[in-house]
Amino acid sequence: MRLKHMAIIIGVCYGIMAILPIFVGDVRFIMNILIMCLIWAVVASCWDVMMGFAGIFSFGQVAFFVMGAYCSGILAINHHVTPVLSILIAGLFTAGMGVLVGLPCLKLAGPYVALVTFGVHMALQPTLRGEIGIALGSGGSVGLLTIPPISMFGYTFSSANIVPTFYLTLLVSLTCALIIMFMIKSYWGVAFLALKDSQDFAMSLGISAFKYKLMVFALTSFLTGIIGGFYGHFYGVLSFRMLDLDLFSILMVMMLVGGLGHFPGAILGSFLVVAGSELMAPLGAYRAVAMGALVVILVLALPDGVMGFFLKRSANKIV
Amino acid sequence: MFSEDTILLLYEITDVIIAGLSTGSVYALMAVGMTLVYGVTKAFNFAYGEFFNMGGYFAWILIFGLGLQFGGYLMILVIVMPLMFVVGYGLEKLLVAPLRKRQDWENKVMMLTLGLSLFLSSLYMVVFGVSMKSLPPILDGTLEVGQLVFAHQDIMIFIMSLGGILLFGWMLNNTRIGMAVQAVAQNPEGAKIVGIPQARIFAATFAISTVMVGFGGILLSQKWFINPNSGGIIMVKAWVVTAFGGMGSIRGGLYAAFIIGMLEAFVGWLFGMSYGIIALFILLLATLVLRPQGLMGKGE
Repeated sequence: MRLKHMAIIIGVCYGIMAILPIFVGDVRFIMNILIMCLIWAVVASCWDVMMGFAGIFSFGQVAFFVMGAYCSGILAINHHVTPVLSILIAGLFTAGMGVLVGLPCLKLAGPYVALVTFGVHMALQPTLRGEIGIALGSGGSVGLLTIPPISMFGYTFSSANIVPTFYLTLLVSLTCALIIMFMIKSYWGVAFLALKDSQDFAMSLGISAFKYKLMVFALTSFLTGIIGGFYGHFYGVLSFRMLDLDLFSILMVMMLVGGLGHFPGAILGSFLVVAGSELMAPLGAYRAVAMGALVVILVLALPDGVMGFFLKRSANKIV
Repeated sequence: MFSEDTILLLYEITDVIIAGLSTGSVYALMAVGMTLVYGVTKAFNFAYGEFFNMGGYFAWILIFGLGLQFGGYLMILVIVMPLMFVVGYGLEKLLVAPLRKRQDWENKVMMLTLGLSLFLSSLYMVVFGVSMKSLPPILDGTLEVGQLVFAHQDIMIFIMSLGGILLFGWMLNNTRIGMAVQAVAQNPEGAKIVGIPQARIFAATFAISTVMVGFGGILLSQKWFINPNSGGIIMVKAWVVTAFGGMGSIRGGLYAAFIIGMLEAFVGWLFGMSYGIIALFILLLATLVLRPQGLMGKGE
C-alpha cells in the first residue's frame, strides 16, 4: 500500500474518532470505550508490525504492554516519579526487555520464537504475583490500586474530565500510528519485509538480520510500553489478570480483522472489534467463546481481513 | 548414625522424588505426542494443553455427570480414548488440512490453533464453571516400605504412562500405520510415491497425539485439578520438554521429561510452586542458547 493511502486511512479513522466526543462527550461509558479503542489500536499495530511486516512470530506483545503499565505504575507510586516521565522510562524499560527477549529469538525458527515469547507471557504472571513482584512493588495478587493520573502544566487528565483525556489519548495514539507508518515506509520497513521474505537473500544484499530484528523488537516494545504506561495512569488500577487470555484473544482478533501485514488495518480492526465486542456484551461469558471461534473462522475464511477486501487487486504488491 | 533431622529430610526428599517421577512420566507421554505431531506434520499445535484438559473433563463427565459405576478407570479409558481420537481426527480434517495449501501455512496453523485454544478454554469455563474439578484417584491406599510411604496413585500413574509410551513405541515400529507415519516423517515425497495416503496419515498423527495428551490429562488430573485456564501452561511445559529432549527424538523426550519433572518438583519444594514455570523458562532459554538441538536431537 502506498504512503498516501495509508495516510488517508489513518486520517479518516482518527478524524472520525476526533469528532465523536461532540455527540457522546457527556456519556462517560462510551468515552471510556473510545479511549480503549485508541489504546488497543496502538498495541494491535505494534503486534502487526512484528508479525505481519517483520515476520517474527511473537506472542509477547501483551506481556510487553503489561510490563510497561506496571513499570510506570510502580515508578509513580513507590518512587514518586511524575507520570509523564514515568511513562517515558517505562517505554525505555520495555524496549530493553524487548531486546532481551529478542536476543535468544534471533537464531530460532518459527515455533521456537512463538514459544519463547509465549513463555515470557506465561512466566510474567507468577513473577508479578509472587515474591519477586512484591519486592519490586507490584502489589502481589492485589495489583496496583492507586496509580496517579497524568498531570501536565498543573492540569490533571483523569477520568473526571474525560473529554480532554480523550484528546490526549488521541494525540498519543495518532503519534504512535504515524511513527509506525513512517517506519514501515522508510528504509527500515523495507528491510523488515526483505528479511521476512527471504532472510538469506536480504543478508546477501547487506541487510543485517541481527540489527533489524532487534530493532523491531526494541521499537514495537517501546511503543507498546509507552501506551501500556498511559493505560495504567488512565485506569488507575492494574492487575495481573490482564495477562489472562481474554485480552490476548481480543488483540489477536483485532489484528486478524484488520488483516495481518496490511498496516492501517490493525487500527481499523481494533475500532471495529472494540465496538463489536461491546455489542456482544449481552452474550456474557459466551463472548470469550465467540472471540476464540472468531479467530479460527478468520484464519480459515478471511486471511487478509478487512483491508484484504479493499486491496484485492493489489494484494500481492503491498510495498 | 544420622540425626533425627537428617532422616526427616531424607524422607521429605524421597517424597519429592516420587512426585517428580510420577509427573515426569506424564510429561514424557505429552512430549512424545508433541514431538510426533510436529516431527511428522510440521503443524504446531497451540491447543495441545486444551486437549489435556479435554481428557480430564471427559473422565469427569463419565464419573460425575453420568455416574459411571463399573469398571473404574479401565472403562473410562476404553470410552475416552476413541473419543479423543475422533475429536483429533475431525479437527485436523476440518481446520488444519484446508490450510496446508496456503503460503506460510505453518504460521497460519499456529494462529488457528491458538484461536482454538482460546475457544476451548473459554468453552470449558462456560460449561464447567471457573472452579477446578477433581477426579478420584485410580487406586486408594498406600504402599509402606519400612518408613517410606508410596501412594498407590503415584505408582499407577507411573506404570500407566510408561505403559502408554511403550505401547506407542511398539505401534510405531510394528504396525502398518506406525511404519507409514515414520515413512512420511522421513521423506514425504517418497511416501507419496509408494502410495501412502499422506493426508490421512497427517490426520491420524494429529489424532494419536490428541489421544496421548488426553491420556496424560486423565492420569495427571487426579493429582492436580482440572483447571480450565491451565491449557497454556501445560502446552508450554510439553513444548519445553520436547525442545529440551530434542525434536524428533522419543528417547530424548523421555529423559527430558524425567529431568524436568524432578526439576519442577525440587524447585516447588524449595521455593514454592509458582517458581516452577520460571525455572522451566530459564531452562528453555539455556537449552536454546547452549544446545539448540536439545539433549538427543540430531542437530542441523
